[in-house]
Amino acid sequence: MLVDLGFDIVPMEKGGSDGAPISIEELNKLRRVAERARKNVIKMLFYDQSIHVGSSLSSIEILTTLIFRYIRNHSNLVDKDWLILSKGHAAPALYAVLAEKGYINEDELWRIQDISGLLQGHPEIFIPGVDMSTGSLGQGLSFGIGVATGIKMSGGSGRVYVIMGDGEQDEGEVWEAMTHAVVRNLDNLIAFIEMNNFQLDGPTDEIKPKNFLPKVWEAVGWKVLNCDGHDFISISNAIDEALKAGKPAVIFANTIRGKGFPAIENTKKQRSSPDDARKSLLDA
Amino acid sequence: MMQGNLYSMRETFGKLLAELGETEKDLIVITADVGDSTRAMYFREKFKDRYFNVGISEQDMVNFAAGLAAVGKKPAIVNFAMFLMRAWEQIRNSVARMNLDVKMFVTHAGYSDHGDGSSHQALEDIALMRVLPNMKVIVPADPKDIERSLPVIIKERGPIYYRMGRDYSPPITVGQEYDFKIGKAYVIKEGSDLVIMGAGVVLWDALKAAEELEKMGISTAVINLFSIKPIDEDTIEYYARKTGRVITIEEHSIYGGIGSAVAEVLVKRYPVPMRFIGATTFGRSARSQRDLLDYYNINYKSIIREAIDLVK
Repeated sequence: MLVDLGFDIVPMEKGGSDGAPISIEELNKLRRVAERARKNVIKMLFYDQSIHVGSSLSSIEILTTLIFRYIRNHSNLVDKDWLILSKGHAAPALYAVLAEKGYINEDELWRIQDISGLLQGHPEIFIPGVDMSTGSLGQGLSFGIGVATGIKMSGGSGRVYVIMGDGEQDEGEVWEAMTHAVVRNLDNLIAFIEMNNFQLDGPTDEIKPKNFLPKVWEAVGWKVLNCDGHDFISISNAIDEALKAGKPAVIFANTIRGKGFPAIENTKKQRSSPDDARKSLLDA
Repeated sequence: MMQGNLYSMRETFGKLLAELGETEKDLIVITADVGDSTRAMYFREKFKDRYFNVGISEQDMVNFAAGLAAVGKKPAIVNFAMFLMRAWEQIRNSVARMNLDVKMFVTHAGYSDHGDGSSHQALEDIALMRVLPNMKVIVPADPKDIERSLPVIIKERGPIYYRMGRDYSPPITVGQEYDFKIGKAYVIKEGSDLVIMGAGVVLWDALKAAEELEKMGISTAVINLFSIKPIDEDTIEYYARKTGRVITIEEHSIYGGIGSAVAEVLVKRYPVPMRFIGATTFGRSARSQRDLLDYYNINYKSIIREAIDLVK
């Protein structure tokens, strides 16, 4: 289900990391990674039922694409790429994908939120692969602007990716940051806004509509792009376009909350039972 | 002794910050559209490429600074105390939680923005900053204290809240011989019957009261707490033991502020009778900061009254 953006979507033809075409092999690999990460997020419910599964499953493919295709590691802070999960409640998805990449031991996933475990309910910088401690909505983009500006001042090559939710757009700080980024001319800053159409208390349409947002970001001066947030080719194409934008770019990613988990898919529900999790994993 | 010319906290700060910019090449100054009022403008005039006005966007300003610190820059936020408090949660969740090297230099604290009234008068900021893990809180007494401490603060790593007023700044520590050290309190007058502890411009009243009390035969010490967090527990305990009576004075709420910080130390280490002088409610407009301090009884007269009550 796609959101009516109310204006023409920027056409995207080119594919691949930094313009390189995406191969069948790579595509299959991304699919396998995302599939395992998705299952592992659902499996976390066996161990802790209070994690935000719905929002996490909305982010799996975007995180997989970024971490496996785009994020470049470097010991120099201004030459590495930064990944900021501003919608910090999707932490389980981040951890599951980081585990696939080898940053986190898979056994740690089952100790999420445990008093003796490494993985917190929201990202903390002491967790390998986490670039910003988040959890309070609306702060990631401003932080990303600081990082991207610092990189530019030092002549570094790092890029900054910030992932936000649609509900998060209610926060006033997003407006402060959105207008700020344009002034700084940050062509190394790429923001994702996941449009999964739900926030904590219900459908976004009923709480604060979000459909006008692309027009607002465009009017402010951002390059506005759109993608299917569960499709690796569509996500990659959007990022490739964003990297060529020559100014800050925002990608509105249409996603489905609870994607791939029938018990909560496309609802406001964040949580579910171990029984539902078992059933879903057996059916898969 | 204290009737020298009034000179300005913000002027001293702004000019010194611009000077320090010469040697501190990574120093970046950030403000939320109050560069002129805070005197950050002197830095702007010299280092345009290291000066950012983010607009009237305090929350964004704090996280922007946090991001710059995360890539190894030295961001210094310069803003009104009151409006930085609007971004307290950003300071808490980003700056303090990640222990980032973000300096927060605030002016217009206390009643110093006398004319603008209660909306602009930060009387809760020390309490709000002091509760944050990793945060240090520094309150210079006068321009001389700014000169002593600013170069040290700029070099120190980690988040620091540095609280200043505006123009009202009677000379308090001129002629005093000490170097600034984080975590250290300074005895600016010796005494044995009573000790007055405080920080900021109200120490002028502490010294004036001590002078009057001496005439009445009450030997009164005055301590410049300067570093509110970390706080100098040893000096506080030493003078509580020596005098047996403590009065605190602050241009801030008595709830959670400097008096509370001193009480936390003494209750644990050496409880003595205490009196708290400071704000108990919002301020109001006035033609001068002095009028407000007198109106709210945060002055030498209150100290003398409490002192006589304590020693009798």
